Amino acid sequence: MKLSSILGLNSRSAIFGNNSARSKRIARSKILTKRILRRAGVPTPKLYKVFRTDRDISNFDWGKISSSFALKPSKSSYGDGIIIVRKRVDVENKLTPSYWVTSQRKKIYKEDLDLHVLDILEGAYSVGNVPDIAFCEEYIARHKVFRRFAYRGTPDIRVLVFNSVPVMSMLRLPTVESGGRANLHKGAIGVGIDIETGVTTYAIHHGERIEYKPGNSKVKFSGIKIPSWSQILEVAVSGAAAAGLDLCGVDVVLHSERGPQVLELNSQPGLQIQLANMAGLRKRLERVEDLRVLDAEHGVRIAKALFSSHAKRKSEDTHVLGIAEKIKIRTANGAKRVVEAKVDTGAHRSAIDKKLARELGLLKARNILWKRKVRSTFGEEERPVISLVFWLRGKKIVTQAGVADRKNMKKRVIIGRRDLGGFLVELGRKK
Amino acid sequence: MLENLLLGQSLGDPLFNPLKYAIRAAYYSEVSLETIVLLLLLPLVTLIIAAFRHLMGLRGFGIFLPASLAVVFLAIGPTLGLGLFLVIVLASTFFRTTLRKLKIKLAYLPRMSLILWAVTLCVFAALFGAHFISTLGVSGVSIFPILILILLAEEFTRVQLGKSAEVAMTLTGETLVLGLVSWAVLALPQVQSFALLNPETTLLSVLALDLFLGRYTGLRLAELWRFRKLLRK
Repeated sequence: MKLSSILGLNSRSAIFGNNSARSKRIARSKILTKRILRRAGVPTPKLYKVFRTDRDISNFDWGKISSSFALKPSKSSYGDGIIIVRKRVDVENKLTPSYWVTSQRKKIYKEDLDLHVLDILEGAYSVGNVPDIAFCEEYIARHKVFRRFAYRGTPDIRVLVFNSVPVMSMLRLPTVESGGRANLHKGAIGVGIDIETGVTTYAIHHGERIEYKPGNSKVKFSGIKIPSWSQILEVAVSGAAAAGLDLCGVDVVLHSERGPQVLELNSQPGLQIQLANMAGLRKRLERVEDLRVLDAEHGVRIAKALFSSHAKRKSEDTHVLGIAEKIKIRTANGAKRVVEAKVDTGAHRSAIDKKLARELGLLKARNILWKRKVRSTFGEEERPVISLVFWLRGKKIVTQAGVADRKNMKKRVIIGRRDLGGFLVELGRKK
Repeated sequence: MLENLLLGQSLGDPLFNPLKYAIRAAYYSEVSLETIVLLLLLPLVTLIIAAFRHLMGLRGFGIFLPASLAVVFLAIGPTLGLGLFLVIVLASTFFRTTLRKLKIKLAYLPRMSLILWAVTLCVFAALFGAHFISTLGVSGVSIFPILILILLAEEFTRVQLGKSAEVAMTLTGETLVLGLVSWAVLALPQVQSFALLNPETTLLSVLALDLFLGRYTGLRLAELWRFRKLLRK
């Protein structure tokens, strides 16, 4: 990989850090983030209680709220100062007070919770030790898919959103060392996720590649299929848009019934995500920088077409293609249409005839990823590039295709090199 | 020595050498030459610290602490400076863990204050001990170096409390390295006399380099190492 594909700290803040002051203020404060998200209709864990002054704590009954909750400082970073309470234990005899059990299986009493809130209010965990606000929110138990992979705490999914396009993503799994927290700096494991399919790829722990769960070589990290994948990406994009953030890391947790919930937004996301995906961020950011994205769904569609990793998928058996192949194209309403296509290894990107694209309903604004300037004998013209899903010899290919006028050609679709990974082409082959 | 150099210099055209005239005026109104030199070199030191972060990836505790640490080393010498720093950090860590073991639960600010109370006692003990080691030269110790060292120790304990002992150690180690490097530059007689005799050149070149650094968007040395697997791909 080239040096210039990788995003370093210098370029993160100098080139892509154009977040507005307002949006940065929102991202810094978890309380403000929650309010903005709720107002925009983006799902987020329920808020139980906010502590602004010492007085809020002196007459608060911890038994009143749900017995499992997360106590957090509003302005901490790296997950500092967060206590996760799993359950409350009420003791039978009245002499010993009831206590709570944290995610690290430590017993804590009312006084410990009170003192922790006071610490937070004093600014023990906030950046620059400025006075802070503490709050209690709903604790979201881990989704059953992740049970084998995570230790105690709840894994979350970090989605990096830039210009309303989810450019890269990573599953963050808590470990014994990270104390149930999902922060890589604390020793959690990061697992890269293929943007197109939502299937995990590579895993890193402390910046080093690993394949299996530490201490258990039966649990492999690659190939986990994350449920509700498109929904996760869409929620992340809407979250970033609600705060007006240009580049941001959105932390999403998966609730078993209510689906993806946005936990928090980071205006300065970490860069380890590149190692977990074995891909450079800078190049991806540059590719989506100037695109006009209509809404979250459009952004997700662009991401899936741009950042899918065909090459990584294992091809069970290699198909030999002829020059002409029948493919099935997915139409706008989900039906499949069989079309004759030409396999063209001389073309980079696949192309589709304008009339056919319109017929299949693929030329709607939502489906157009961007427009490309093309110079031809007729001068300069703008050709749309659309998102295209088709099946070639039974293999589903999610990609982008240029739209051109091909009414005088024999085949109205050509398949370019970009989508021919894993296939062989034999020139003289007849069907 | 600096004095002779300064007085032996012809000042030239006041239009192009305004700082030289300002320095001369300050000298005649009995501002110490050391202060003037330090003032001139401070932007250079911060430039060095910024360069270490942006080109190499050495973080430390911000820019102010390493810079003041360099001044501390200049004032009381690196051996005594490092010694005092160790005493302060050990004292505050020890006291913090004891508080935790004894299960004394205090609010944050009183706890911090109590830890500084213990640190003060230990610094006194250290100064008392250093009195008997004549080679150390404790006479240069004033309140400011001690305050700066306490500030550093507080930063250390804060990071240790909020993040982990490991992060605190690395950051403190990096801060000490930055402080030592800056001190080495500050203490060079050649650098001192050059800055004193050519204040305009010094400040203008620091300005130019600052502008360059601020626009550098390439990878840092530490990041090349961090992302080596990606590069090999």
